[in-house]
Amino acid sequence: MTATSTATGWYVYGVVDPAACELATPLGVGGGTSAQLVEHGSLAAIVSRVALDEFDEAALRERLNERAWLEANALAHEEVLRAFAEVTAVVPLRFGTVYRELANVGELLDERSDELHASLARVRGRVELGVKAWVDRERLESAQPGRAATGTSATSTGRSYLEQRLHERDAAADAAELCAGIVHDAHERLLRLAVDGVVNRAQPRELTGRPEQMALNAAYLVAATDQARLAAEVARLDDETRALGITFELTGPWPAHNFVSGEEGRP
Amino acid sequence: MSSRDLASRSQPSPAQLADVLERVLDKGIVIAGDIKINLLDIELLTVKLRLLIASADKAREMGIDWWEGDAFLSRRAEGGGKGALEQRLRRLESAAGLDDEKADEDAT
Repeated sequence: MTATSTATGWYVYGVVDPAACELATPLGVGGGTSAQLVEHGSLAAIVSRVALDEFDEAALRERLNERAWLEANALAHEEVLRAFAEVTAVVPLRFGTVYRELANVGELLDERSDELHASLARVRGRVELGVKAWVDRERLESAQPGRAATGTSATSTGRSYLEQRLHERDAAADAAELCAGIVHDAHERLLRLAVDGVVNRAQPRELTGRPEQMALNAAYLVAATDQARLAAEVARLDDETRALGITFELTGPWPAHNFVSGEEGRP
Repeated sequence: MSSRDLASRSQPSPAQLADVLERVLDKGIVIAGDIKINLLDIELLTVKLRLLIASADKAREMGIDWWEGDAFLSRRAEGGGKGALEQRLRRLESAAGLDDEKADEDAT
């Protein structure tokens, strides 16, 4: 924070129990000050001071479209939440919650007290794990039983050409069906080890940068003590389906972004 | 395979970054602070982020419908047992404007 920056505000990362021990927090968003706790009643907010010339409405509208800025600050937001999540229950807020006065943060904790307490209770002693399935379509299609190469015998007639195309289309459809069944069953199996689970939209290739297609993008809320069990099940799933061209991957533990009551329609 | 540890965040891989952005920009409790921002204001950023945060309807308007090819979600949207070809037919129908209800049933 430079001496020239004028007004400052308070960026809010999440909510914790006031008993949460203070810890050496990482730097917050805006490349600025360390995160700190603001206690109010039976709740505490994780906040840090930000310059309003970077975080007021007009500035944010601009900044949000600067990819480097958004990435750096989204990572800073996550970093702060992770640091706290390692030592206490954390209810994560979505990126971009800014108040002008610290007193207003206190009001927020008052107003949403019931909901925040419920969310804290839900995530206490639990972690979010991410599970993704990736499918190599070509491999899956060729791995299907009875789908061995159909021969590329000269397709001289229009009819045989059409038959060939039909066959390829069937193979692709069967592969999609098989893949859908596998990830569906996988989700069911993982749910049995979890308190809750959610399936999000698959991320597109442009975003993942991977050649395979994402077939499952799920998150599970699990007891901290059950992490290893879920990890083992993911490894088992991976072993079972790898030969078909479907691989499973575990990420996390994450703060429970996917399991705090956010807005209507969300779990 | 083991848990992909995110501890070394200094150089996140694209996949890790995508996971963080998905969670931080699209999940978590929504609280209207004093500063009103709308994450849908993210317009100029690459289409990648747009794909993540745009609402389904908005993305569809833009012709972005990759998740309709998502085997898992399509299956759920179709209620389970139907064949992939039938799903494809539905997608083609909806693209042709022959079936305008079904297409809106996918996940948001």
